[in-house]
Amino acid sequence: MSTRENSYTEAEALNLLAQLERILDLDPLIDEVGFIHPSQFATLKEEIGDSLSLEDRVHESTSFWIRDHKLGISTQILIPVYKAAKHAFISALRQYKTPGNFSGKSQDDTLAIEVMIHSKALLLLSCDFATAWNSRKLIVSNKRLLPILMDELHLSALVLSYSPKSEQAWSHRRWVINMIARNCSTLQWIIERESELVEKIAERSKMNYRAWNHRCWLVSFMTREQVLDELKKSRNWSGLHVADNSCFHYRRRLMLRNLEGFCYTQDNNSSGYFVETYQIWKEELDWNESLIKQYVGREALWLHRRFLSMYLIKHMATHLLAVSCQSKPKASVDIDIDSLMDHELCLVHSCSTTIADANFEDFQAQAIHSAAYMLWLTKQIPEYQGIDIQEKLRAGVGDVTRMLKRSCPDRSSLWDYLVGYHSEP
Amino acid sequence: MGELAADKHVKYIISVEKKKDSFESVVMEHLRLNGAYWGLTTLDILGKLDAVDEEDVISWILKCQDESGGFAGNIGHDPHVLYTLSAVQVLALFDKVDILDADKVSNYIVGLQNEDGSFSGDIWGEVDTRFSYIAICCLSILQRLDKINVDKAVEYIVSCKNLDGGFGCTPGGESHSGQIFCCVGALAIAGALHHVDKDLLGWWLCERQVKSGGLNGRPEKLPDVCYSWWVLSSLIMIDRVHWINKDKLVKFILDCQDMENGGISDRPDDAVDVFHTYFGVAGLSLLEYPGLKPIDPAYALPVDVVNRIFFSKK
Repeated sequence: MSTRENSYTEAEALNLLAQLERILDLDPLIDEVGFIHPSQFATLKEEIGDSLSLEDRVHESTSFWIRDHKLGISTQILIPVYKAAKHAFISALRQYKTPGNFSGKSQDDTLAIEVMIHSKALLLLSCDFATAWNSRKLIVSNKRLLPILMDELHLSALVLSYSPKSEQAWSHRRWVINMIARNCSTLQWIIERESELVEKIAERSKMNYRAWNHRCWLVSFMTREQVLDELKKSRNWSGLHVADNSCFHYRRRLMLRNLEGFCYTQDNNSSGYFVETYQIWKEELDWNESLIKQYVGREALWLHRRFLSMYLIKHMATHLLAVSCQSKPKASVDIDIDSLMDHELCLVHSCSTTIADANFEDFQAQAIHSAAYMLWLTKQIPEYQGIDIQEKLRAGVGDVTRMLKRSCPDRSSLWDYLVGYHSEP
Repeated sequence: MGELAADKHVKYIISVEKKKDSFESVVMEHLRLNGAYWGLTTLDILGKLDAVDEEDVISWILKCQDESGGFAGNIGHDPHVLYTLSAVQVLALFDKVDILDADKVSNYIVGLQNEDGSFSGDIWGEVDTRFSYIAICCLSILQRLDKINVDKAVEYIVSCKNLDGGFGCTPGGESHSGQIFCCVGALAIAGALHHVDKDLLGWWLCERQVKSGGLNGRPEKLPDVCYSWWVLSSLIMIDRVHWINKDKLVKFILDCQDMENGGISDRPDDAVDVFHTYFGVAGLSLLEYPGLKPIDPAYALPVDVVNRIFFSKK
């Protein structure tokens, strides 16, 4: 079977390319592409049965399968079609770029269309072929019409459906959104849709760095209302994906963005804004604690907690003090660092004393993460917080070090250095 | 502990170079210059760079240069800083950097620095701290670092620092070992490592070591041989490598070898590729595994190559 791959003539390859491009043209709503082994084609064809005329035409083909806007391509033809697409694309691009080939607008358009058709086929087969994405940017930047830009979003979404980590596809989306941001007022709606797209892709492609990075990038385009809305909307998803560090990082990004907004808003409403922000933080901490107790031993949850308590202690305490002195009706919020620390110490203790044997990996992990969290806290507390807290922590650190070395002896040298550092004057 | 099957890996790399007909190889042809860097640097570390035809390689690389001065991943493709660095690095392996018009290549990179100090990868504007590293590393090798605004470049990188001490690809991006390597490497070359909280970052990097001894790239992820490079070189640059368990890491890398056919994979028993073969061997070199040339953690080139660039009389 595999020897067939190399025995397609140039004419056959061009024919296959033409078939592919015709399919893409006839169904602009294709939203998923898959690469199918030839042996699976027989099974799929049986399932078609009575079909529409498009499928009838394709019925003869042993290379393509299409149904409900899902396109299947036989792995057997990938190399010949790729080569044909590449040659067609490069030739079209060369003609498009050659000065003097433009005898008028219609000529320009024809060449552009050729490039768009061939680059699309090429990108479905080799989604990180940057030169093809670039040619589309070149052509589209001459038009800048919203429908054309939306087409680019559609194509990259199609690519991401089977190649969710494609750097070029994500990068192309950002370029398109920047184009849209400059010209159109639909930006807010597009940002919302982008955020939903990432969540959909993240469901199938766990901790996809590029996808989440894209979502973090969107945050700079969001209004304060959108930021708070995103925090609310993404909460459920995060609660169902507690091992996904990226989704919690996204929440941190949103919370920091909200905090940034506050720093620049020093007006009469600031204390209200502030109370709301503090509430958000407190709720996140409580919610995080419930998840920690429910899902034992999840690193991502503890890392999120590091961030939350550190920020609360280091930054918000100072702000609150400043604001509550200024506001007329006193801000009804009271950050008591002492009781906060007591609470955290309690939490850490409850996690480290579960199951002394720690035969269960999860409980062992929980103990390690909570101990490391304790160590983290000791390093984040500024000196001015007071001697009581320092002493509480020092006692905690003693337990913590013993705990860490017992359950994680491989990292002995790390614990030594970290704790040693802490005790330095 | 197992052994490094050096000869098998050399054979594997050379065979990959020749086999260009598989679909996997064909869809990677746009980044062939990166592949050349991975394969050839591995050969050099193993002391077998002479197994390839130097002239062949160099003439092909030069054909990848675009009129803008930048290099593309293969002949006829668009230029990008990713391939420009690989081109310069490969030429450095052969001590042929001087065949380039250094000003022409530098100007391509200089033109990609943005107002905020960041770097775009190419004319289409995508910004990423990886490109900051590439710019600084490449210009440093070409001895043209003074052509960019280094202070601003450093400022941008520092703005990508997160609360956990790590770095992301843009401000606010999640800390990732690969991005951290790029930022720390860039700061190291630019003489600006004082911006790094070494204890904090060192801690984050050490938490990448999992039970099997391998390193992952981010919390909760599986270990992968390529992080043996990115995490390890970062730890070395900030002088915290004594915080991880080196023996276990060596064992993990050796377990990722295909002892029959050569090559190294991302984790034990997976399929091998040139990318992971390079990072596995480079990681072992950093761990001072016997029989390997030492590699510079910032430039990602053998130390003798780096010394030749900066210390030889011309």
